[in-house]
Amino acid sequence: MIRDAWRKIKGGGASSTGERPGLKPENLVWVFGTARTGSSWLSAMMGEMGGCSRWHEPLVGHLFGNLYYVRAGHRSEDEHFILGARYRELWLGMVRNFVLDSAAARFPEVAGGRYLIVKEPQGSVGAPLLMEALPESRMILLARDPRDVVASNLDAHKKDTWTADLMRKGGKEKPPSLAESSPDAFVKGQARRYVRDVGNAKLAYDAHRGRKVLIKYEDLRADTLGTIKRIYSDLEISVDEGELARSVEKHSWENIPEEEKGEGKFHRKATPGGWREDLTPEQVEIVERVAGPLLGELYPVRSTA
Amino acid sequence: MMGSQDGCAMWNEPLVGNLFGNFYYFRMGDRKMGKHSILGEHYKEAWLGPMRDLVLGGGAARFPEVVERGYLIIKEPNGSIGSPLLMEALPESSMIFLIRDPRDVVASSMDARSEGSWLSGRREDQGRTSKSNPNSYARTRANSYVQQIEKTSQAYSAHGGRKVMVRYEDLRADTLGTMKRIYATLHIPVNEGELVRAVEEHSWENIPEEEKGEGKKRRKATPGGWQEDLTSRQVEIVEDITAPLLEEFYPDAAITTRGAL
Repeated sequence: MIRDAWRKIKGGGASSTGERPGLKPENLVWVFGTARTGSSWLSAMMGEMGGCSRWHEPLVGHLFGNLYYVRAGHRSEDEHFILGARYRELWLGMVRNFVLDSAAARFPEVAGGRYLIVKEPQGSVGAPLLMEALPESRMILLARDPRDVVASNLDAHKKDTWTADLMRKGGKEKPPSLAESSPDAFVKGQARRYVRDVGNAKLAYDAHRGRKVLIKYEDLRADTLGTIKRIYSDLEISVDEGELARSVEKHSWENIPEEEKGEGKFHRKATPGGWREDLTPEQVEIVERVAGPLLGELYPVRSTA
Repeated sequence: MMGSQDGCAMWNEPLVGNLFGNFYYFRMGDRKMGKHSILGEHYKEAWLGPMRDLVLGGGAARFPEVVERGYLIIKEPNGSIGSPLLMEALPESSMIFLIRDPRDVVASSMDARSEGSWLSGRREDQGRTSKSNPNSYARTRANSYVQQIEKTSQAYSAHGGRKVMVRYEDLRADTLGTMKRIYATLHIPVNEGELVRAVEEHSWENIPEEEKGEGKKRRKATPGGWQEDLTSRQVEIVEDITAPLLEEFYPDAAITTRGAL
């Protein structure tokens, strides 16, 4: 059994399911960032363009990234560790097969040159590993002001909000959240999560030599069509402009029914800078302290520094 | 002992079970049944294969000496949460289910994390802190024991290949006899003289005194030592959390605090 595996690896590391006809790694378009950056909105618009499918949060980045960077980060130099540095090339090849096989099984229609938009904000901790494993893939780094991200999460995790509805649909009750009992601690935790997710996505972005684009939620809100055209242009993906305009219009904030918008709902306010109303001065300070370097890099003009 | 046998190598805690099991059983929740999650139930065939490759390829690259012939002993207690997935991906593998009284496990873990102990020093080097509340830690460790043993038990029951269940207490009481039983049950040929030497070499008595004792990796190796090590409150906590497993695997070891909580 071990001998067979070794032969397979020495023979080029082919996947367990053999060749993957038609599924080209360069046709994977990864969307990294963090939760509440507008990735659902962006990927919904892109996913329904002709010739595209959308993979909604596979969490493959979380699967590998959480162990590699968080839970067992201290073991990366240990040669026994399954994701150890000495065998990096080997396991990255398997991560690659893992993604491609899984994508091919779910989205057979992508074979033959179509694009698969992989919405993966909550797997961004593993973005450096994924992009190293799939260097031909395209990458979108979707950033948003961390203060607005934290404010949005603070609202989402209060009592009786859309996150509770989501859990209820799965037959579970949402446990009490720090967002209610200790909002400042919740804010600190979310700011750390932002740094982990967006920080690693930025690392991946900087290292990636393939097609890539960095966009800000704020620009997407201010000029949706212009920004999304820039995405397609930078990623060198051809797009039908009329179809794109229709998709942008269909998914616009203005087209969401009023009863589906507001506090406690998935579509909350979509207002860049809304954190000034949502967070206390202490909470703003917490976010700016924890996410300071990233905030300075992505949003050079700060509010309270 | 097993890793030192001729023709064997030992893979020391790859954490591959932790990689997949933690995600599959804790992180995914209801999303397992959907189309999109990477470890979705409906696409199991698509990911069990690469998972199998990751283990076999990782093993072959690290231990080329057992590629053609021999055995690879994979010590993976902290990856036990993923044992059902691993055994499903590698049904030809052999499996050892090693269990120990949860009260002794918790007592040992608490000692390992105490100030100045072997593990606390390592954790400090890694920038990790130990739980300061002993009762809270006892609860956490008992819960993780339940998670790990329940999943190992599930994998063991489902596994159609060679397998053996061993209690730490039996291994201590009759090491050679228990080791022979392991090899016999797993159908692995072993040189008895070599086995006797390995058992002797790794015996508790052969560990230098200065390497044994409280705060050290080799602490006391005394089944039932929890009666001295844990407070009555901690015993209550552990027994309350692990009661079903205690009853199943240690029917002869009385639960001392039933109904106390």
